[in-house]
Amino acid sequence: MIQKYYGGCDIGSTTGKAVIIENTGIILGSSIVHREIDPEVTAALALEQALKNIPEINSIKDLAYLVGTGYGRSEISFASENISEISCHAMGAFFCDRSIKTIVDIGGQDVKGISINDDGTVKEFAMNDKCAAGTGRFFEAMARIFRMDLADFSDLSLNARDLIPVTAQCSVFAETEVISLLAGKNPPESIAAGVQNAVAKRCFMLLKRVGIIPKVTITGGCAKNRGLIKALEKALQEKIAPLSVDPQIIGALGAALYAKKRESR
Amino acid sequence: MKISDLKDTAVTSGYKMLNLMAITKMGIKHGPFDLIRDIRRYPWLLDLAKVNRLVTKLSRSRRGNYRKAVGMVLHGIVKEMVHQIEGIFHRQEKLVLHEDMVPPEILRAMGLSPWMPEMLGILLPMIVPNVMEEYIDAAENEGIPADVCSLPKTVIGLTVKDRLPYAKAVVTSNLPCDGGMSSYIYVEKQLKAPVFRLDIPHHFKDERAEVYFSGELKRMIAWLEEHTTGRMDWNLLQEICEERNRMMDYELQLWEMIAARPAPLAADAVYLSHLWFYNVCSGLKSSTEVFRRLVMLAEENLKNGVAAVPDEKYRALLWNPPTMHVIDLFAIAEKRYGVTCIMDSMSFNRLPFIDTSSRESMLQGIGRYIMNGPMARHTRGPMENYFDDIFYIIKRFGIDMLWMAGHIGCKNTQALNNIMREKCRAEGIPVLIIDYDLADPRITSREGIFLQVDHFMENVMKAERRFL
Repeated sequence: MIQKYYGGCDIGSTTGKAVIIENTGIILGSSIVHREIDPEVTAALALEQALKNIPEINSIKDLAYLVGTGYGRSEISFASENISEISCHAMGAFFCDRSIKTIVDIGGQDVKGISINDDGTVKEFAMNDKCAAGTGRFFEAMARIFRMDLADFSDLSLNARDLIPVTAQCSVFAETEVISLLAGKNPPESIAAGVQNAVAKRCFMLLKRVGIIPKVTITGGCAKNRGLIKALEKALQEKIAPLSVDPQIIGALGAALYAKKRESR
Repeated sequence: MKISDLKDTAVTSGYKMLNLMAITKMGIKHGPFDLIRDIRRYPWLLDLAKVNRLVTKLSRSRRGNYRKAVGMVLHGIVKEMVHQIEGIFHRQEKLVLHEDMVPPEILRAMGLSPWMPEMLGILLPMIVPNVMEEYIDAAENEGIPADVCSLPKTVIGLTVKDRLPYAKAVVTSNLPCDGGMSSYIYVEKQLKAPVFRLDIPHHFKDERAEVYFSGELKRMIAWLEEHTTGRMDWNLLQEICEERNRMMDYELQLWEMIAARPAPLAADAVYLSHLWFYNVCSGLKSSTEVFRRLVMLAEENLKNGVAAVPDEKYRALLWNPPTMHVIDLFAIAEKRYGVTCIMDSMSFNRLPFIDTSSRESMLQGIGRYIMNGPMARHTRGPMENYFDDIFYIIKRFGIDMLWMAGHIGCKNTQALNNIMREKCRAEGIPVLIIDYDLADPRITSREGIFLQVDHFMENVMKAERRFL
């Protein structure tokens, strides 16, 4: 059998991700790069990095099929096709665990609730794409207020003994509210717990719209936020199923899996 | 270019010409000085005059009889709009403003000239999508909350900016929502005209309600006779009701035909005709004529095996009023995905013909239509009023998916969205809820609306987009 290679490239608002798989679906290479202004440049950089450690492939041209996805998907001129990130996240998560039925995908600029069919395709979805509250950008802003990096902020709430509610729904107002709470000498970990809880509640409402059927998993960059996962599990009263693959590259993985499917059509 | 393409171009050009002629004739009749004065008083007249943009928008992707139907419906709207504007110019002593849930049949039978203020908030965004922004802002500057429906806000804005015609009297009701009711307080204050408010009972499905409400209509007639020059002509009301019944008869024939797969006519040809000719000018011979010709065009298409949308793939039910500032939503979805809008919540009803055998039966018949108006019956009482219609239409018209125009200002329908999702999920009906505002494109832009459609069609319906 001739070995073929397939690529998936997910251009988000904050990062670009690429995944290269072979015939059997095994991941040979992956990458996460910061987003450049031009989505096509980001895609080229992400793919270049993902291909670096695969000696069998010299360039993008050696890929049998390449699917672009994400916010900048339509700008990747060298992709064979582009597919919505909603479908790609569903397919990627399903590939990792076939019992996954519901996904919350938290990216840099939007949040999506996705329910999936038995074959990994999308059944329903709901998205919050007009407001930064609850997205990666929101967490970045919060970490800045706490003068921490994102990783430290993510873990801060884990040590909280209680929770100080953050009631503002808007990112900008929430920032003001958190600054006031910090200035009031409230414990930072309790405020952080309030922030995580507010976002978890927003995700819960979004998931309610598509129907919450276990197993539930989380994808996207914010899936690495341990404080958020704890808060989300509390809101859902359901364990979040961990994925065997870095949750940030699930969209790109789904795109690569679609590339394999489409090429064999 | 094919001959059929040339014919289509000729059809659209013909209707555009007729529209221009009707508008020009009205201007000439009014005279240049009076016209300039009135354009300054009612600047929206200039926006209405751009109606041929709407003709282009809705015609360019349609072919054959479907294109003819769209052009004819729009020309019918233009003709009646011209007549209504002439009412402001020349029949001001008979002018009565009426709210959108109060049908104008009784006013006409009294020899009065009806004018529905909401008409502008509905029609203008179809022609110039962002035209109502200044009126919405004016309403909010008066203290109306941002989350109130933008349609009554356009009425408030037009009122406070003194751009509504002065009327001898105003008739309104407690329907369909609080926003609607509050807008007429502004109209009352600004116009200093006497206002009559119809009390429509909350439980409207029994005989007691019908008797009570026909009493309300009698009270309204007596009030109008006291405050205007209008006098009730019961014979004329009978003629109007009989004409309305004839129009309805044609509409029922049309619905029978569009139940076929593929449908011979669809979308705006069906829902704009109902929206306009039933709510603004029902009971007129010209309105019945539009429906007669729609039936003829549909019949011809059926006979020749011609579909409105050549490769009809998905049959959609549109719920809530159409997306006014993106009125070509289905014209584009037809082309892009083969989506065909078959029926909508504003058109569909299961009410009987008006019994014209006596004064009482006519008033009860008209009253039934007011009490069961689409937004009225769907946003009052138990949720069955809402969902029974949805699932009946889905079954009767072979619907594949539900498109909910999720107007953010309509709290009544927003409150039902999750139940609707759950019920449709149980029935296996895919649902697209389009987040948008009825008259304000700043809430969700045209691009934002199509993005939602594309996401839904690609991910849920697994549809392939035909062109980028």
